[in-house]
Amino acid sequence: MSIIEHIRLLTGGVFLLGGLVLFALELYGIYHMKYVLNRMHAAAIGDTLGISFCLIGLMIFSGWNWTTLKMALVVLFLWWSSPVSSHLISRLEVETNPELSKHLKKGTLEEITESKEEQS
Amino acid sequence: MSKLKQTQDYEKTASFKFFRWISGEKDPYIGTIEMQEQSEHQVEDDTITERMWEKQMIIDEIYDVDHNRILTKFHKLYKIAAVLFCVALTFFLLLTVSYLPRTGNAANPDNNEVAQRYIESGLQETGAVNIVSGMILTYRAFDTFGETNVLFIATVCVMILLMVDEKTLEERSEARLNSGRIKDDIILQMTAKFLVPFILIFGIYVILNGQNSPGGGFSGGAILGAGLILYANAFGIKPTQRFFNEKVYRIAKVSALCMYGCIGLYYYTMGANHLADHIPNGIPGHILSGGIILPIDICVGLEVACTMYAFYALFKRGGL
Repeated sequence: MSIIEHIRLLTGGVFLLGGLVLFALELYGIYHMKYVLNRMHAAAIGDTLGISFCLIGLMIFSGWNWTTLKMALVVLFLWWSSPVSSHLISRLEVETNPELSKHLKKGTLEEITESKEEQS
Repeated sequence: MSKLKQTQDYEKTASFKFFRWISGEKDPYIGTIEMQEQSEHQVEDDTITERMWEKQMIIDEIYDVDHNRILTKFHKLYKIAAVLFCVALTFFLLLTVSYLPRTGNAANPDNNEVAQRYIESGLQETGAVNIVSGMILTYRAFDTFGETNVLFIATVCVMILLMVDEKTLEERSEARLNSGRIKDDIILQMTAKFLVPFILIFGIYVILNGQNSPGGGFSGGAILGAGLILYANAFGIKPTQRFFNEKVYRIAKVSALCMYGCIGLYYYTMGANHLADHIPNGIPGHILSGGIILPIDICVGLEVACTMYAFYALFKRGGL
């Protein structure tokens, strides 16, 4: 019985630590990047994978009960709502920023579309 | 023989005006109360330059900053004194903290007969498993009534400041439609379509289960308001007005507050005169238990939900 407990503690701890590492990566990304869309990409790591890893670790600790189900629902709703909110933020940025093409590394929007048309 | 009044005479009487107001034909306040959009405060360029010139003149001519030795000394001392003052303040505040008793000590002054009474006989007296709900809605119902009134008055004040009449609203919404802002995002709409029913049901669950589990009127009402705001954000204000317009808002808000007042009044009269109240406490743990907690929770929940949605709608477009 105690072996199972140990395995549970170990797997749960690995998941929890993995989630924390992902959060650290997210934080580094947010402060490292300068532009909204890049920073949003970094923030999405923690919003989806980091929080779900942490909650999976807690679920393993908690075992089969209603709390586990509630945490699974939390993961479900977060995965449902957080991509939508980042989609809206990115759409707002793209539609309202007049100097968007400055942030594109491969040249202006017009140049990219022109090169695509030439290829086709 | 009875005298028949002339129609013109009748139109001057107060009762005619009252019944016309009741039937909704004419609102006596339209045209008499100021309902206009606030314009942004603008400062003219001349005053800005004048102010800057005056500031520079004071620095150059009155204080003579470049040649004033006392002033430079004072500035240096000022920085040192500021740092010293902050350090001293921190020291004294921490000193005060060290005099506070330890947390969880049995001899602390907050461990008195009030908390003991709540914990020991709260379940028996209020019928609520959740002690916090039982405390704020029965023992301290008067306090919570004040909070609910604060919410009501806050929305009334925001309405006074931001409410715009219908004509301006329509013009403004047309102007907003023509400008190229984001609207009708299909991803947001699909998400809202799936999520809003769950959010509303969860809010109602939290309100109704307030006496048995953590939650109650305030948190449940906040969830309901958030669901309404999500719906209004995704589908626009027109589809929301089909089930939550100004009329519904007015009825819900005022009747919830009056209902809370009536329940509280009944309870106080009974309690103060040592009369038996006729609201049964029920079996603890059931949905229909806890005496006056359930109806008061519903009232508070309605109030909070209306407040949240009204703030959103008023700040967004100036009308419900």
